[in-house]
Parts: sequence; structure tokens; C-alpha cells
Amino acid sequence: MTDVVESVIRGLGNGSVYALLALGFVIIYKATRVISFAQPSLMLAGAVAVSYLAEVTGFYLAVLLAGLLIAGVALVIERVAIRPMVGRPFFVVAIITLGVDVVVRVVVNAFIGRDVRQMGDPWGFTQVSFGPFVVQTRWLAMLLVTAVLVGLLFAFFRYTRYGLAMRAAAFDQETALAQGVSVGMVFALSWGLAGFLAAIAGMFVGTGQGVEQLTWIIALKALPAIIVGGLDSLGGAVVGGLAIGVVESLFQSYQGQLAPWLGQNFAVVTPYVVMLVVLLIRPYGLWGTKEVERV
Amino acid sequence: MKSRYVVTGVAVVALLSACGVIRGDDEGSKGGAVATGVTNEPCPKAIDKKKGCIYLGTVSDLTQGPFAALAVPITDAQKAFWKRVNTAGGIGGKYEVDVESYVRDNKYNPETHRQVYNEIKDKVLGLAQTLGSPTTAAIIDDLKANSVVAAPASWTSAWEFEDVIIETGSNYCIEAMNSVDYAMEAYKPKTVMAVHLAGDYGADAAAGAKIAAEKNGLEFTAVETPSGATEQGRAITEITKNKPDLVILTTGPADAAAIIGQSAAAGYKGRFIGTGPTWNPALLKSPAAPALKALYEQSSPGKPYGADTPGHRAMRDALPGVTPNDGYTSGWAWSYPLKAALEKMVAGGDVSRKGLLAAVKTLATVDYEGMLPPEAGNFAGDANAATFRQTLINKVDESAPTGVTEVKDFFTGPTAQAHTMDGPCFSKLS
Repeated sequence: MTDVVESVIRGLGNGSVYALLALGFVIIYKATRVISFAQPSLMLAGAVAVSYLAEVTGFYLAVLLAGLLIAGVALVIERVAIRPMVGRPFFVVAIITLGVDVVVRVVVNAFIGRDVRQMGDPWGFTQVSFGPFVVQTRWLAMLLVTAVLVGLLFAFFRYTRYGLAMRAAAFDQETALAQGVSVGMVFALSWGLAGFLAAIAGMFVGTGQGVEQLTWIIALKALPAIIVGGLDSLGGAVVGGLAIGVVESLFQSYQGQLAPWLGQNFAVVTPYVVMLVVLLIRPYGLWGTKEVERV
Repeated sequence: MKSRYVVTGVAVVALLSACGVIRGDDEGSKGGAVATGVTNEPCPKAIDKKKGCIYLGTVSDLTQGPFAALAVPITDAQKAFWKRVNTAGGIGGKYEVDVESYVRDNKYNPETHRQVYNEIKDKVLGLAQTLGSPTTAAIIDDLKANSVVAAPASWTSAWEFEDVIIETGSNYCIEAMNSVDYAMEAYKPKTVMAVHLAGDYGADAAAGAKIAAEKNGLEFTAVETPSGATEQGRAITEITKNKPDLVILTTGPADAAAIIGQSAAAGYKGRFIGTGPTWNPALLKSPAAPALKALYEQSSPGKPYGADTPGHRAMRDALPGVTPNDGYTSGWAWSYPLKAALEKMVAGGDVSRKGLLAAVKTLATVDYEGMLPPEAGNFAGDANAATFRQTLINKVDESAPTGVTEVKDFFTGPTAQAHTMDGPCFSKLS
């Protein structure tokens, strides 16, 4: 039983990272109807920024500064590469974000170099005990920080003017525009928020094992998370991310003994299997809005 | 009107080309070509312009692949090695060697490897480097069909069975056998677990560990793990749950650090011996460093960067100011057999791909300037006789240039000594 709880906590820790990334995808999607494939590069950039800044400012300030820096980078990307494409087919803009991802990663790779860069985080591989349960401190940090960020984010959307503007624009852009909402500001804000969240996620990915050029691949696991939760559901992104993390962790721990016929590393594909199952049952995700198309 | 001219122009060019009037840059197009990849013209960066030039290609993981951290130093060391050869009079006093004109990036992708190899294959005599086991497997048929001799940057046991591959140092399979035999002396384990990547890197070592475990009467399990530091959850669970006395690791360095660091944090106290590529000095800055110092040793097919041999000293002198890395050591050591074969080819008079292959097949020893024993360069006998079976064990040492120093010099364990190489090991892991 202790093993199961420990696996679940590890899954929730990793799942928090997927949730932060998934939130970024969903925020941009809700505002612009575009899936931004630039998120992996922003995550990597965030982790690398922390690894450099931590040497100068210490870890905690470095995380905040890196978050703001990457939010700034995301704003620039939105202004330079995305805003001029307003009105063009969403598919075209999504492809542009793929190009942006490659460009940003090439630049960031130059800063990573050939070795693994360390975050300078205070957690390392330290563990804490809760009675019979022993878990890594960083899993708890991931879970806690994600919970706080999600709480702040939901409060922002619920109680602030900008949050209301974003919700209005997500609901109906033209009507929001007619009511005086600056849709351009909404676009920029959505990219900025997604950049900030990606940077925090990147920092957490790098804790313990550091960051290297191939670390960006982890961000792809946020895609099953948003499909599971629903492309336009913020709550869905959080639940989807956590669910993917937990399922993956449980498969890592138990599939070998319970279902060895699935092969040795089935856990690697579980996020995508979960995604396929959800797509078959609920094509718009568990909490996504069903689209009505008139033909 | 215009399109008519274009069509006519294209037709004329196509006709002349088909008749052989316009030719590409293939064999015979260069003035003074001796054979494919060999010219009487001097090399582009010739030291002595009176000498001809032997062109060797390099296909390596130079930018974004998982082994770029090793591949770039390997490639730089080989450039320095051949520059030193050229400065010392070249090959047989007649030719210099160029390894800089045809360097290509494989991104550690077999398809890309084949593609870039095809781009350069008609311009080079052989390959100074073909990095990776699965990548080289993608071109091995072509290498054999065209007698292209190639120095591999990988240590899979499959190369023992290929005449055109001119490998240096023991393969992963032998390395793992020796690691288990070393552990039998040093730690007396009863259970062994091989944690390995899939394919002919990880599976080759796991197969060697299995053979040695069976020979020593140890309980053996193999855990295949995916690449990526965040994907090691299952491997860590298997180690901490089963608590093997010895873990033989065949992964990348970041994966190894995640596995060792987190297993140790969870209370595992057994030993890890990782193959050469599991180590990277940057790991000393990672949170796994204390665990690495306490539980980890590195098996290696050659002495580390800081070793005191004439070859190591020459390498360090030729690479002033670089950050020490055993990629340099490997790249430098791998070049000696090719140098010996080229010298034999030129001395024999048949300067061609077939001449080079014939020269390789007569090499029974190679002078590695002390970096490896001369018998490591045996390409004359059959695979079983020619397989080199000595490896070393290193331990973590922060004061050493690459973070590791020798704890056991070149040795052959009883398992490797008795083993008959009758096929690639990785195909036998089941």
C-alpha cells in the first residue's frame, strides 16, 4: 500500500508539470483558437534561464525572474510572429508556432551546450517521511507550487478585469471587441501567461536531473493532457495533467508484474493510450466544449 | 518565347549530360585522381604541397543528437590526430590525410546517416569516423559492397564480424563480462541486474552481463529502460524493490545520474558499474554526485584523458586549451588502426579501397603509443581470435581531468577469456 501511495505522489508531482504546460496550451487556445506548439521551447528556455540566473541571484529569485523573462519572450513571439497572422486560418498559425519552437530551441541549445545544466534547486533527491510514506521533496514542491499557481490563475480569471476580458474574448471575440475589450491585449496576455507557466514547468523538469538539449520532449506529454481534459477547459488541463502523471507512474511501478505481456516500457506510451481511449469515448475531452457545426 | 528557350536549354544540358560530356564531381573528375578519395593534388590544408591527399569522411552526431557531447570532442580529436600525422611526414612520405572536407552530421538518425554518407561516399577513400551502432548498421551493406573501410565510434560486438569496420577497444559485451568478474572479486555479489537501453548498445552489454552472471552462478535480471532522465521511474522502482547486489548500467549519462541518485536516495546500497558512455564529468555538479562517488564505478575500453602514456601526452599537446573530455581520448585512440592500415596500403602500392581493406586484414598489432596494448589492433584473425578482451575500471575522482581515475588497469576476466565470440552478443539476450 505504501508503494502505491508513493507512486501516486510521484505521478502527481510529474503530473503537475504536465498540468502547468497544459494550462499554457489551453490559455492560448481559448484566446486565439490556435494550439501553440512553441510551448516545449519556452519550457526549455525557462529551465535554462533558471540554471544561469540561479548562479547569480540564488534559486528562488531566479525562478521568478526566469518566469518573467520567458513571459517577455512569449510576448515578443506573439507580437512578431503571431499577431500579423490574425484572420488567417488557425492551421497556418499553428504551423508557424512549430517554426517558432524550432528557432527558440536552436537559440536555447546554444546556451545549454553539450552537458547537462543543473538548476541549483534546494531539493535535489532529498526525501521526506510522512509516517510510513517516503516521498521526494521535489514531488511535493511541484504539487504545492502548481496548486498555488492554479489557484491564482483561476482567481485572476474570476475576479480581475483582465481575466473577465479574456473570458469574454474566449467566448465571442467580435462581441468582446464591440464591448471595448482589446482583443490584441488578450492575445498578448495569453501568450505571456503561457510563457510564465512553461518556464516554471521547465524549472521543475530540471530539478534533480538537470536540463539537456533533449529535455523539450517531455513537454509533448502535455498534449495528451489537454486532449483528455478538453482543449478549452482550464480545469480539464489540470485534471488531465495530473491524471496522465499518475497513470504513467502507476504503470512504471506495476505494469511489469501485473501485465508483463505488454512489454517492458509500456509506461512510455500510456499518456497516448489514455488520450486515445478518451478520444474514443468523449471526442471533445472530459470537460471540453462540444462544437456544433452547421452544414 | 522564354519558356521555349528554357526547354531547349534544359534539353541540351540533359543530352550532353547523358552523353557524359558534363560530369559531376565523381572519381576521375579531379586532376591527378589516384583512386576514389585519393588525389595526387595536395590536400586543401596541406602542410607539404608536394604530397598527394587521402580524403577520409566523418559522419558523426554533431549538433542535436543524444551523443553530441561525446561526438564533437571525438571529431575534434581526430582532426588533431591527422594534423599531427601530416606534420610528421604524412602517410609513407607520399600522402597527407584530410578529415575536414567531408564532415557530416547524422543527428544520431540512421536515415540521416545513410543520406549524408551517400553525399560523401564517392569522394572519400574510407571513413575516419562513423558514429553510433544503429546508424552505422544503416550503411554497413554499402560499406561492404564498396570495400569502404570505416573506424566506428561505438563498441558493439557486431563490429567483430565485419571486415570493413576497424574497431578499437573491447566491445560492450566483453566490457560487461569483465565488470561482473571484477565485481565478483571486489564485492562478491549474489544478484546482478542489467539496466540497459534497447538496441545494440544497451542489449550488447546486458547480454555480456548475463553470460558472466551465469558463469559465476549469479541470479540475473535485465531491465530495459527508455532514454531520458525523467523516464527512469520504472528502472528505479525495479532496483529499489529487488535490491540487486550489482547493477550493470548501459544508458546515457543523464539517465545514469537519475537512476543512481534516486535509487540511493531511496535507500539502495548496492554497487553500480556503468559502461564508458554512462559517465560525464558534468555529473559531478548534479545532485546525484554523492551517490555516484559512493556507489558508482565506470568500466572503460581505454584509459582516461589524464593517463600518462605517450599517446595520451601527444593528444593533450595537440589539443591545447580544451575542456578535458574522454570523447577526445576515444577519437584519438580510434585513429591509430586506420593510420597503420593506410601506411601498409601505401607501402604495398595498391592505393585504393580494395588495397586499404587488404592492408586492414593483415594487421595483427597496432602501435597505440601506449594508449592500448598493441594486440587491441588485431584485424587479421577470425572474429573469436581477433576480439580484444581487456577493459579497465575507473572510479569517480573530482581531482582528475575527466572526473575519473583508474582503479584497475587493463584486465581480462575469466568469463571474457573463456567466451567464444560466435555472433553479436545483443542478438542472444532473451
